[in-house]
Amino acid sequence: MWKKKDKLPACVTENVREDLIKLVDVVKVYDTGSIKVLGLKRVNLTIKRGEFVAIMGQSGSGKSTLMNILGCLDRPTMGHFYLDGIDTAELSADELSAIRNRKIGFVFQSFNLIARTSALKNVELPMTYAHISKKTREERALMLLERVGLGKRYEHMPNELSGGQRQRVAIARALANEPPLIMADEPTGNLDTASSVEIMELFSQLHREGATVVLVTHEENIAAFAGRIIRFRDGQLVSDLPNVPQSQGQEETAKTEKEGAPC
Amino acid sequence: MLIENMSMALHAIRSNKMRSFLTMLGIIIGIGAVIAIVSVGDSMRNLFTDAYKDVGFNRAVIMVSWDVTDFRMTDYFTRDEMDRVRDVYQDKIQYIDSDANTEAEAVNGRRKVKYQFQGIDSNYTDVQPLDIIYGRALNTADVKGAANHVVLEDKGAVQLFGTADCVGRTFRMTINKDTQEYMVVGVYHKDISPMMAMLMGNGQTQAGFLPYTVLTKSNDYFQDLNFYVREGVDVNAFLAELTRYVAKLKGRPESEIRTISVVEQMGSVDTSLSAMAAAVGGIAAISLLVGGIGIMNIMMVSVTERTREIGIRKALGARTRDIMIQFLTESAFMSACGGIIGIILGVGLVKAGGAAFQMTVVVRPSVVVMAVGFSALVGIFFGLYPASKAAKKDPIEALRYE
Ligand SMILES: Nc1ncnc2c1ncn2[C@@H]1O[C@H](COP(=O)(O)OP(=O)(O)OP(=O)(O)O)[C@@H](O)[C@H]1O
Ligand SMILES: [Mg+2]
Repeated sequence: MWKKKDKLPACVTENVREDLIKLVDVVKVYDTGSIKVLGLKRVNLTIKRGEFVAIMGQSGSGKSTLMNILGCLDRPTMGHFYLDGIDTAELSADELSAIRNRKIGFVFQSFNLIARTSALKNVELPMTYAHISKKTREERALMLLERVGLGKRYEHMPNELSGGQRQRVAIARALANEPPLIMADEPTGNLDTASSVEIMELFSQLHREGATVVLVTHEENIAAFAGRIIRFRDGQLVSDLPNVPQSQGQEETAKTEKEGAPC
Repeated sequence: MLIENMSMALHAIRSNKMRSFLTMLGIIIGIGAVIAIVSVGDSMRNLFTDAYKDVGFNRAVIMVSWDVTDFRMTDYFTRDEMDRVRDVYQDKIQYIDSDANTEAEAVNGRRKVKYQFQGIDSNYTDVQPLDIIYGRALNTADVKGAANHVVLEDKGAVQLFGTADCVGRTFRMTINKDTQEYMVVGVYHKDISPMMAMLMGNGQTQAGFLPYTVLTKSNDYFQDLNFYVREGVDVNAFLAELTRYVAKLKGRPESEIRTISVVEQMGSVDTSLSAMAAAVGGIAAISLLVGGIGIMNIMMVSVTERTREIGIRKALGARTRDIMIQFLTESAFMSACGGIIGIILGVGLVKAGGAAFQMTVVVRPSVVVMAVGFSALVGIFFGLYPASKAAKKDPIEALRYE
């Protein structure tokens, strides 16, 4: 099992388990002083390596709470969360940082790029914290920006990019350390329909290339890209159904359009 | 990672230029003041050292204090007594004279020049070498015979004779109402820095030497003994010894014998310069403290403004330490930048001042290095609290911050 002193890169490669995510009776209580809010009520959930899962539910149903726990930003009040077989409850804040750095790629609704910092530097950031050499960092960041269709925009600052472009930079950044898990909390929430579709195509492609993707959304047509849809209500899992993802033909056309579009 | 932190710090400072500059101002002023004043102090010390070197580090005078209420005739020294002191302390005193001086007007036809003549013994050049350019220095025969021979400075010689090459020429001069003819036997040259010249006065009076026997006749009385101690002799210890001797000689308590030495005066200059340095150090410390608090304040603001950035960095894998170092680097960098600007300012000020007063100024490299190091330390110290505040932020809360 995971020992505190283990080097993380080793466990990234060694711990190839079927179950990437395993939640056992997870309860999250928000203690706001006067009242205690139950964010999650005994959630049991397993996500296997290579799945594309959409999480849906009304506002306040506990989606973000779940994402925070899955993303190792937060720990369950009760129960256990195993990420790649590691019980996160046993880890210190710095160890959680290391896990987030190597095992999780975050994509946020509000992009969360670092202001006044070039697209390239933003993509490099997770690699900086992984102590990867400058040369490798730059090469990889450029390659990733190329991959999300922003190869020529690497010097641009976030405020010089459109919402869709910003989100693509964020996706490139999420892929920087080749994490096994991509987490996206309403990644299309601030985008128009066309950009949303582009972003979702990108996620589908990552999924086909072997990434495990977990995304939160309010919209059915976004959830339709996933292979499994989980619904929450009042902090509880109410349905968990497989889904047939959207056709690939549509994706190809979208891809050529994107390449033709002026960047 | 260090380079990465440096570039991030530079980036953060550059993206808020005006604010960073205003924050640095405290440090700039503090360090600038320290550099300027320390350098002025050093330059002053050099100047005084030069001045004393001119007089001779081993020079001293001894006398019965002027403060005594019952000053008697016997409190004066006589030539016999001077000879006795010279004999007794042969191994300690290199040179001794009666400290005779006179201001007189030299007359050569229609040319008249005011002179300050110092009466010296023939071995004076052993303790104060003269750069003789024409003729010779005063010799034993001149002194023994109380000859009316003089050695002039080249500047004054030119004024009196129109040329520095005036060995053998004569002029008339009245000393103690006695007008006599005097002959130039030598001319010397002396380099004086403009600052020294300014300190010494208008330069109207010219300098020259004549035998002390011309000014102090064999049955004269004079107030003090002027002497140079031999090399290797502890001046202060010797002065104590001589005080005991002179006290006995004059039948006065030791407390009424007074000595003045260059060593002692240099000590008092050093003391006052050190006192000035301490005062400046205090002011600088306060200014650096204020500057440091300014940096702390702006870092607190910066940490709050960048809460979201901190959240993002943490989500992407920054550890507590990484955030801590990032902000510490920034505050240290800002402070060190202030320090460097302060140094440039201080050195510039001192150089400008030095040029204005025609004074050579010294800026010690060790002071510069210390100033940069110290300002960086101030930055680190005052950055600690804001940085730890940044590092301790909860990633979820930070990410949600608007
Ligand atoms: N930091 C917090 N302190 C107190 N209560 C919280 C906190 N975060 C979330 N909650 C509560 O936990 C419950 C679940 O919130 P959560 O943010 O997970 O909802 P959500 O499904 O993401 O909603 P949305 O779709 O609006 O983003 C809500 O009742 C919310 O009020
Ligand atoms: Mg939410």
